[in-house]
Amino acid sequence: MSDPTVTLGLWGVPLAILGGALRVSAPFLFVSLGECITEKSGRVNLGLEGTLVMGAMSGYGASLWSGSPWVGVAVAGAVGAAFGALHGWLCGRPKVNDIAVGIAMMLFGIGLAFFLGKPLIQPTAPRLPALSLGFFSDIPQVRSALQVNALFLAGVVLAPCLRWGLLRTRWGLILRTVGESAEAARAMGYDVNRVRLWATVAGGVLAGIGGSFLSLFYPGSYNEGLSSGQGLMAVALVIFARWDPVRCLYASLLFGGATALGPALQSVGVTSGYYLFNATPYALTLGIMILSSSAKRTSVDLPAELIAQR
Amino acid sequence: MTASAAASDASDTDTSAIVARVKPGSLEPPRLTAKNMSKRFGDLLALEDVSFTLSPGSVHALLGENGAGKSTLVKCIMGFYRADRGQILVGDSEVQVSSPRDARGLGIGMVYQHFTLVENMTVAENLVMARANLPAILNWKAEHAAIDAFMERMPFRIAPSRTVRQLAAGEKQKLEILKQLYLGNRIMILDEPTSVLTPQEADDVLGMLRGLCQNMQLSVAMITHKFREVKAFADEVTVLRRGRFAGTGRASELNAAQLAEMMVGAEPPASSITRSSRTSTPAALLEINALCANDDIGLPILKGVQLHVSPGEIVGVAGVSGNGQDELVEVLAGQRLPTSGQLRVNGKPYVPRRDQMRRERVRLLPESPLRNACVAQMSVSENIAFRSFDVPPFCSAGWWLEKSRMKQRALSAIADYSIKTQSADAPIGSLSGGNVQRAVLARELSDGAAVLVAANPCFGLDFAAVREIHGRIVKAREGGTAVLLVSADLDEIFALSDRIVVMSEGRIVYECDAAKADLAEIGQHMAGHSSDATHAAE
Amino acid sequence: MTVSAPVVSDIASGSRRLWALRERSLGWLEELLPTLAAILISLLLFGVFVALAGQSPLAVYAEMYRGAFGTWFSIQNSLLRAAPLMLTGLCTALPARLGMIIIGGEGALVVGGLAAGAVTIPLHGAPPAVVIPAMMLASMLAGGLWIGAAGALKILRGVNETISSLLLAYIGIALFNHLVEGPLRDPASLNKPSTPDIGEANMLGNLPGMDVHWGLAFGVVMCLVCHLLMEHSVFGFAARMVGGNPRAARLSGLGVPRLVILTCCIAGAAAGLAGMVEVAAIHGKANASLLAGYGYAGILVAFLANHSALGILPVAVLLGGISASGGLLQRTFGLPDAAVNVLQGILFVVLLGSQTYRGRVKLRRSPR
Repeated sequence: MSDPTVTLGLWGVPLAILGGALRVSAPFLFVSLGECITEKSGRVNLGLEGTLVMGAMSGYGASLWSGSPWVGVAVAGAVGAAFGALHGWLCGRPKVNDIAVGIAMMLFGIGLAFFLGKPLIQPTAPRLPALSLGFFSDIPQVRSALQVNALFLAGVVLAPCLRWGLLRTRWGLILRTVGESAEAARAMGYDVNRVRLWATVAGGVLAGIGGSFLSLFYPGSYNEGLSSGQGLMAVALVIFARWDPVRCLYASLLFGGATALGPALQSVGVTSGYYLFNATPYALTLGIMILSSSAKRTSVDLPAELIAQR
Repeated sequence: MTASAAASDASDTDTSAIVARVKPGSLEPPRLTAKNMSKRFGDLLALEDVSFTLSPGSVHALLGENGAGKSTLVKCIMGFYRADRGQILVGDSEVQVSSPRDARGLGIGMVYQHFTLVENMTVAENLVMARANLPAILNWKAEHAAIDAFMERMPFRIAPSRTVRQLAAGEKQKLEILKQLYLGNRIMILDEPTSVLTPQEADDVLGMLRGLCQNMQLSVAMITHKFREVKAFADEVTVLRRGRFAGTGRASELNAAQLAEMMVGAEPPASSITRSSRTSTPAALLEINALCANDDIGLPILKGVQLHVSPGEIVGVAGVSGNGQDELVEVLAGQRLPTSGQLRVNGKPYVPRRDQMRRERVRLLPESPLRNACVAQMSVSENIAFRSFDVPPFCSAGWWLEKSRMKQRALSAIADYSIKTQSADAPIGSLSGGNVQRAVLARELSDGAAVLVAANPCFGLDFAAVREIHGRIVKAREGGTAVLLVSADLDEIFALSDRIVVMSEGRIVYECDAAKADLAEIGQHMAGHSSDATHAAE
Repeated sequence: MTVSAPVVSDIASGSRRLWALRERSLGWLEELLPTLAAILISLLLFGVFVALAGQSPLAVYAEMYRGAFGTWFSIQNSLLRAAPLMLTGLCTALPARLGMIIIGGEGALVVGGLAAGAVTIPLHGAPPAVVIPAMMLASMLAGGLWIGAAGALKILRGVNETISSLLLAYIGIALFNHLVEGPLRDPASLNKPSTPDIGEANMLGNLPGMDVHWGLAFGVVMCLVCHLLMEHSVFGFAARMVGGNPRAARLSGLGVPRLVILTCCIAGAAAGLAGMVEVAAIHGKANASLLAGYGYAGILVAFLANHSALGILPVAVLLGGISASGGLLQRTFGLPDAAVNVLQGILFVVLLGSQTYRGRVKLRRSPR
């Protein structure tokens, strides 16, 4: 952002973190919410990185072709659904290992996106509009930090809605039962594979939308270095958030803020420890997992079926 | 006796205020009758011409040892199996129960030995999920209130918001029962409901059931092998033996000796070994001292097992399964860690590690060999080498496997033990049960065992295989092996043992010489009954 | 017993042998058929894809073959790309034989590469005969530690090894980045932070007569050693028992924890060695170039090879060939080199799907 800057001194750091949290966390948010749904049903989707990149590419292409970024978002979601459906269908077949399928889908998605997206690198597509929450301030940095996008706000609203849905709707209850005890769900007459398929599709839709955010808002263009592994990180994020959608929101903001911390610190002269700081969420997640497991039992929040399949 | 009296007192005060949750148009649970039920599984006749009537509002115990047919009868009623012959009547009309759903439709529900609750969800969620019709949006406040109201009518309450994981085993069992009532089932079948409960919890749960029955909210058919429960909580009892009807009556009118005779018979089965009456017993080779262990959910299952086996003798551990026998064998096999107590072999402390197993020549023949003692995808030849692949001549230079020598050894074992297999390289999972057991026997016995622990070695095998395996065990005994035989089959125990002990509730409760064994006494101990007054008062 | 009886039994045993041979070869075919069908289907799908992109599928196939195995140059190119996959494939394949799914190869690779680069700093000036083995040892120790930790966490605390190995990979990569850009950084590397150059003398040269570096030999040897280990050694026998049925392994008195942790260490050592090869044979220093996704590709190599150490060799070469043909495709047809990623992706997905049919193909006459 090449706005004229006002020297803020140390205040620049928390502002940058806030800005980063608001901007960068949206893909994390959407992908982690999607993965949260999938994992609640007892399945892991490691291929969301591929879905994310495909979403970014297809969203950008659709926006370019149709002239509307929102069409791009919709197409990204549809593409994500297709990928999710493929993953869910494959994993539902006997003897297929869902970890391997996830990695395969990741490589397939990335490869396909790079292949199809070559013509999209140059042109500029219509971008998602920003809402300036910093309208009250005169300081350019504040204004730019508080630029959010309607999609992000949609995500913020989606998180508590998902939590409500998981707890208070029939679908949520069925989903959770399938994820906790496939045997009990089957005994009640539910088709476990079908529930998981839908959960994976839902996860794919959200991941695709998250990807479209990358290409249509921030950074706002399509290129091959667009994703920095957010898709895979989201898997760790969901664990960190203990499989709760609202905690996913907080964790996404945390992760997003963390990625902005490095450059912000550098600008005030703190140069070392950037990567280590970025690694803290993962170390914390691992720590939590260690503490809440024991040799006899694993952690309580983990949907039981997630590990039962191993 | 006091526990159940207290329970009925409580339910008496409730009766006046209660309108039970009923199916429209009926006040009491219908009568359930099973007539002339027969079921055959291949060669095995699991049920033959068994009839059974569950009167409305009664607690009816189904008594019998393993393999008596209680499970099969109940599964036919529940629709898991289709009986070959026989009728099921609810009330006065015959019904077809071809699936568990049909049974549910008739208001018949079953509570299993293992919990079917979802651990990480709340009580309310578990109950609501079990319903056939779920509203799209769940109003938990209303659901909780409805569950509270429902629980008001029950002699036991659990807060709907609690997570199942937080409940004790007794509470979980009660919740399973409550779930059936919540679904509107008036006829309830329970399979060994107290096997995972402490004696206190058992009395609690059974007292509650008895109260509900007396209120005509429920009829209960309860599979059990414990006389104490029959006498304390049941109105009627039907005994099955070997798939046949062995007797019925009112629980209050039958005493333990009569029940035992119905359960195990009057004449002890024949022995197939010549029991030498020894004047002096050689020193024990295997000693199990005050062994305690917990089961998979952390409850104590072995509560101080004290046992010893001398060389050249077969000690038969009789008992109904579920009293800790599996866990005892697992501890001896190194598949479970004891919490206290000690094992000694040959006078020295013993831990089931490979070096000690080899040094002391401790061998095991567990039940379900494919599950416990073999790797299904590995070949017969490799499975036979499990005990010896890391010593010469089957390995050289301490690391290289001599596969051809393993195969040679396997081929001679195949010939010796008549193992029917396509080849020594076939995966052992492709062999029939009897041949898998023969292979395991070949492995465990071929280089001489000092101590042999065998658990239900002949379960599910054909007659020829049974005879062969028994023969091998006897031969080992004659060669001086100390044999510990754990079996739920009294015939097998009597056929092979020099000494018989009975295991009940995690302890050895009775011991006698096989030659002087009193079948009735053994039967009573198997059912948890003893003539010792202090034991009965527990 | 008549004279003719031995003759009859001779014929009988001869035809029995023939029958056994037929059954065995049909058995092989049964196992391979789903895989072969999958490869065929993937090629077909890719052909459709290529046709939609405006090129002739057959021409593309021909060129891919040329780029992968058509000339000596392309064969070497394929082998070059296959080398790291052989090592990272072992990282997933070995623990999988014990029933554990480990996906942290990427992390083990980078810490291994970092260790290899770092160990040259104190050994500056020492002869290659000292430095190269030191690099190998350091990388294997670092990688072994990383995956061994996942195994230990599983044994001691019951932590799911898939998740823990992934998290450890992230932590490892973060540590790698931190050290490469910080304490271990070569002040001369301004544009791209790296550890100090290990020196020309310490680089792994090429195999005699080839343009492929010694890393290939490391990969092949490691796979062969692991094959020997798993199939022909006491350790491997015990490990396969644990992987096949832990209850039976305990019954035989085997020490399960020791076997699990050791296997994880060996697996991690293989991936660490891949990192060392990247440093010592390609880049000459440890920097972000090490993060090339070999770890993740290795996971797939392992699954496609059905976790067999020998099977990894052809799978790695196949994948290396596909990746090698990418450059040629770009030059000849103008297809973006991501085209080979698409083929790889299709291949992986179809091959994984074909695993459903494993064991369901019935060609042999005899009951199985």
